[in-house]
Amino acid sequence: MMRSIFHIMTREWKRILTLPEHYIVLLVLPPLVCLLYGYIYNNQFARDLPVAIWDESRSPLSRQFTFMLEQTESIHITQQVDNEITLQKMMEQGIVQGAIHFPAKMDEHIKSRQPVYITVYTNTAAVVTAKLIYKDAAKVLITVGSGVTLQKFVKTGMPAGKAMALVQPIRLTSYMLYNPQYNYQQYLVPGLIAVALQMMIIMVTVLALNLEEKRGTFAELHAMAGGSASNVLLGKGLAHLSVGWLHYILATCIVFPLFAHGRIGGSWPLFLLFTLLIIGCICIGMMVSAIVSDVMVACDLGLFYTSPAFVFSGFTFPRWAMPWYDQYYAWLMPFTPFLDGFFKVYFMELPMHYAYKETGQLLIYIAVTFPVALFFLQRKMNKYSLQHA
Amino acid sequence: MRDFFRHMNRLFLREVRMIAADHSLLLTLLIAPLLYAFFYGSIYSYKVEEKVLLAVADDDKSELSRTFLQQLTKMQIVEVTGAAGLQDAQDKMYYGQCQGYLYIPHGVQKKVPALQQADIVLAVNAARFLPSSELAGGITTLALTVGAGVRLKYNEMQGLNSQMAMRETQPVNLDYRPMYNSRSSYGAFLLPGLLALILQQTLLIGLSESMALDKERGKVPELLKTGGGGLSATLWGKGLFYMLLFCCYAFFFMTVNYTTLDIPFRGRVLDVAVVFFLFFLTLIPLGMWLGTMFRSQLMAAQMMVFSTYPVFLIAGYAWPYESLPVPLQWLSSMVPTMPFLKVYQSIVQMGATLGDNMPSVLHLVALSGFYTLLALLGLRRLNKRQQSISL
Repeated sequence: MMRSIFHIMTREWKRILTLPEHYIVLLVLPPLVCLLYGYIYNNQFARDLPVAIWDESRSPLSRQFTFMLEQTESIHITQQVDNEITLQKMMEQGIVQGAIHFPAKMDEHIKSRQPVYITVYTNTAAVVTAKLIYKDAAKVLITVGSGVTLQKFVKTGMPAGKAMALVQPIRLTSYMLYNPQYNYQQYLVPGLIAVALQMMIIMVTVLALNLEEKRGTFAELHAMAGGSASNVLLGKGLAHLSVGWLHYILATCIVFPLFAHGRIGGSWPLFLLFTLLIIGCICIGMMVSAIVSDVMVACDLGLFYTSPAFVFSGFTFPRWAMPWYDQYYAWLMPFTPFLDGFFKVYFMELPMHYAYKETGQLLIYIAVTFPVALFFLQRKMNKYSLQHA
Repeated sequence: MRDFFRHMNRLFLREVRMIAADHSLLLTLLIAPLLYAFFYGSIYSYKVEEKVLLAVADDDKSELSRTFLQQLTKMQIVEVTGAAGLQDAQDKMYYGQCQGYLYIPHGVQKKVPALQQADIVLAVNAARFLPSSELAGGITTLALTVGAGVRLKYNEMQGLNSQMAMRETQPVNLDYRPMYNSRSSYGAFLLPGLLALILQQTLLIGLSESMALDKERGKVPELLKTGGGGLSATLWGKGLFYMLLFCCYAFFFMTVNYTTLDIPFRGRVLDVAVVFFLFFLTLIPLGMWLGTMFRSQLMAAQMMVFSTYPVFLIAGYAWPYESLPVPLQWLSSMVPTMPFLKVYQSIVQMGATLGDNMPSVLHLVALSGFYTLLALLGLRRLNKRQQSISL
């Protein structure tokens, strides 16, 4: 049995190296896709977004505020406008992504105890840039507002410490753990790569058995396995698992350290979780391949099954904000529990026991799909034996 | 001219027959666009995320901390879950039972009336971008509001009437006006682009598969013969089916999907129709050209699947075009998705016109011409190769 599995594994590796449907997806695409994803977010942050200033105050204070806004990471003052219609037109044409309005007589109003309203406009049709502009503008304007309040209290003769306590009676210290700067590259690249790798494994394993039938090599495989479906699944599965490990090395030794501040080689918990994901994907792919004989239909099933994995997994939009049926659908894909565990063992660098639930969930995919694949393949092999007896 | 239309008609019918006979093409072209549109669309149907779980460890257990927590529970973004202490709150976050924790240490209540700053600590799991930033933003606003309340009380105690006290509390205020997506919702931002991307990818996958199938079966000379020998007639005759089908899909998406998903449409119908027509006019030759490059239908399907995410990520929609590295900006400019999404988003979400986006419209026209040329060259090359093999 061991010898048969070993021969099938070697044969599968030869197929991976010679069939374009296999080597392009498993060996050529992964480095290209991984490096592309890393490179897309090479700038890490969206910096210097074009913002307009609508300054009706034309005062030293408004100029000082403008200077402070320009110093922020995301805001770059590129235009001056003098009314809201021009501003809207500029947003529609994509010339600016936001604007700050200082009202007329701002300085006098501040001095004469009249509240002043500084308006921040953002083009929220593009939510990512809008949020960045708002975050930086709000930080500046809140600081400025606090400064004005502080000065007012100090002018009344209040000690600076007490004045500060009145400006900010409750000091909120916020810790943005695991990605304090909201670095897009550090956040998105590992997730995108993981989803691409699981897609690649499934897109190839859905062809692992039926392509043998289509190309007329099933008899050879049948003979090599001695009619045993488990030998076929284990032999082929081990070959694809070793490809998965190559992908792991590519991701954790080259791409994550280079583009996502990752630790070289990852960690044992990450390796274990990734291995479970790959085995889960192999089992699912083999199951489809054993059931569906038409390679194109199997390929389409792989496509429809894997392509929504990223958005359904909750990586960019949380699962709890989705309708209940989408939340259930998300659990049909092994990427969903993998991602939950990935957050813990990769981003949060927690020990494996914190991801026990996700590990168990990944094992369920294997426990369900492997026997189904085994059943259908054995039936197919038995039928083949009878036909050729 | 009559011959031209006759050839176009023949090619159109040939394409219909080919698709009807192929399960994969049927699935990709007739089922996938509708299924994906409803399926993906439904994810964002609530548009915004709410009720992000936050563990709270309150060691102060005072009236002030309780008031703070009451205000916290009233916020849409937060769902408070209790924690026995700081360690318990941390563990809850580690096990994924909450997205962050708030710690109110002992002595907060005592410090505030004594005009001493009281510290509270918020820790959020920023490994998850969206919930953590919403959570931090919401709680910062709440802390500022509570601070303003304390100042208001102080000012009133100093003898100011309530109107004056209110004015003194917050001399400089921030008035935030998010335009074109008033709730700043992720769903309202992403859905229009997502629907367009579904149209693009299903068209490209279907058409490139169909072209690769003709190539795989050695039927390119027959295809050209049906088109009367003309390369242009062949390209647009085969593409006619896709143009009609995807125009229907675009109409369906812009009416039914926009209504069911409650996506606002602020532009003019004619402008959107023109830009979709131009978009398909670019995608059809692109799909044909890509199809001529793949050796089989299977390879076309496999390769095109992996184009979806990269194409979307470099299109300047989810990540600003200007923030891409320069070589990727060049690559992005060669993909029709970039100029199309720019015009489409501007019209649909911001109510702009085609005239406001003339550079991007011209960009799309130039790409259409470029890919038409490539598709014609690809067809000619294949025709020559397959003719020489048959000889």
